[in-house]
Amino acid sequence: MDVEVQIPKGLLNKIVDAGIKMYPKEYGGFLIGFYSEDFKTLHITETILPSEYRNSKYSFERSAKGIKGELKRLYSLNPKQHYVGEWHTHPDNSTQFSITDLNAMIEIAECKTVGINNPTLMILSINKSRLNDFEFYVYNDKKLLRYE
Amino acid sequence: MAINKKEYLQEVLETHKMSHVNSLLDKYRDKRKSIKEALEEHYTDKIYSPLNSGSYAKHTAINTKFDLDVVVPFKKKSFSTLEEMFDDVFDFLNETYGTEATVRKQKVSIGIIFYSDNDGDEISIDIVPGRELNEDQYNEDNKLNLYVHSQYGLLAGKTHLLTNIKAQIEHIKSRDNERKIIRLLKIWKSSNNEDYKSFLMELITIKAFDKDSISGDLCEMLESTMEYIRDNITKDGFTLSDPGNSGNNVADTLESWQKENLSSKMKNMLDRIEDNSDNLKIYFPINPDFKENEDTKSSEGYGVKTGASTFSIPTQNQRFG
Repeated sequence: MDVEVQIPKGLLNKIVDAGIKMYPKEYGGFLIGFYSEDFKTLHITETILPSEYRNSKYSFERSAKGIKGELKRLYSLNPKQHYVGEWHTHPDNSTQFSITDLNAMIEIAECKTVGINNPTLMILSINKSRLNDFEFYVYNDKKLLRYE
Repeated sequence: MAINKKEYLQEVLETHKMSHVNSLLDKYRDKRKSIKEALEEHYTDKIYSPLNSGSYAKHTAINTKFDLDVVVPFKKKSFSTLEEMFDDVFDFLNETYGTEATVRKQKVSIGIIFYSDNDGDEISIDIVPGRELNEDQYNEDNKLNLYVHSQYGLLAGKTHLLTNIKAQIEHIKSRDNERKIIRLLKIWKSSNNEDYKSFLMELITIKAFDKDSISGDLCEMLESTMEYIRDNITKDGFTLSDPGNSGNNVADTLESWQKENLSSKMKNMLDRIEDNSDNLKIYFPINPDFKENEDTKSSEGYGVKTGASTFSIPTQNQRFG
């Protein structure tokens, strides 16, 4: 795929802060954004944090309960902002996705209420006080491709 | 007919993407993982978690020439000298992998080159041992001292080198345009057998963007960066500060004559490309292994499901690991 992703530094910092607060457990949320007119660039503009979740050092399960209203509001903006993927942390671990992560993205891409074919996954490696590294992956045909 | 320079350079980048060599990359990742695990098992609480570094971590790798790098941060009290640390890591890696790979001491790293497998693939992983500068502070300041192996000559008379690998990675991580230009300059370096250090090309590209407000399309950005190198590398007092150690001026790794050479190579390339845009193909060749036919060329972007809008409601519950 010939695609790019862009995220403002301020939003990245907001995501990192949310992740570090939950250290040493994993944490995550929904990615919101819009595609360029040629559908080559994804601009990530916002994150929604889940109101319900379960987490441990090695897993994170989120619910989408209660976010529909916020998604509707974001879609009414110009340009329309919509759900584009997910992020979660790997405390003291690498940014490499797990099989669980790949399976989650397969389910998301195949979900009937999800209108996009290529949701994005962002994984952040963090420690107790800071971001170690982060990586974006784009889902395509049962694979997660690292952005280059 | 003259080529469309912007489109041509985009194709050059596309054919050099790491995603074309995913199965080979999987072998590299597997080896890297097993080496990291072996190091963690052997050194236990003497080290912090090993860290991926190098061009792949920085998203500046090209598929014609790459290796994977791992930095191993040792605690301050783990060894009394940097040389002892370096030798101990070499001995351990040589004992562990010596029968299946060539293990050798390099300037600041230990190279492990695994013998060719059944597919003829040779996997190369560089291990960089470093010792934290300040006791128990690595997680806070990320500062490491690297040992400089004397067989390869001293770096400006030093036997050690202070660095901050994380700062180096962060320096480039969110700079999309700069990374494209760095990859193009690496393609030039690799295909024309130029010996300039990638780290130097990386720093000078970032400096060009910072100082010259470089903008425009891919070709305009490349040409502006080359003009910056042509006009500045030979200037007295021109510095390229290592983001991991501001006291380390990477421009000093070039002798005066090497700087003159680099400047004149940039001038020559710019002149010849201006004479005839086809000359771009000499300096920045497409990787023929991954060139697509015009008929099958992919211009695939993000997809929206047939009949759907982009408005989506995500799955109700989802587990990640």
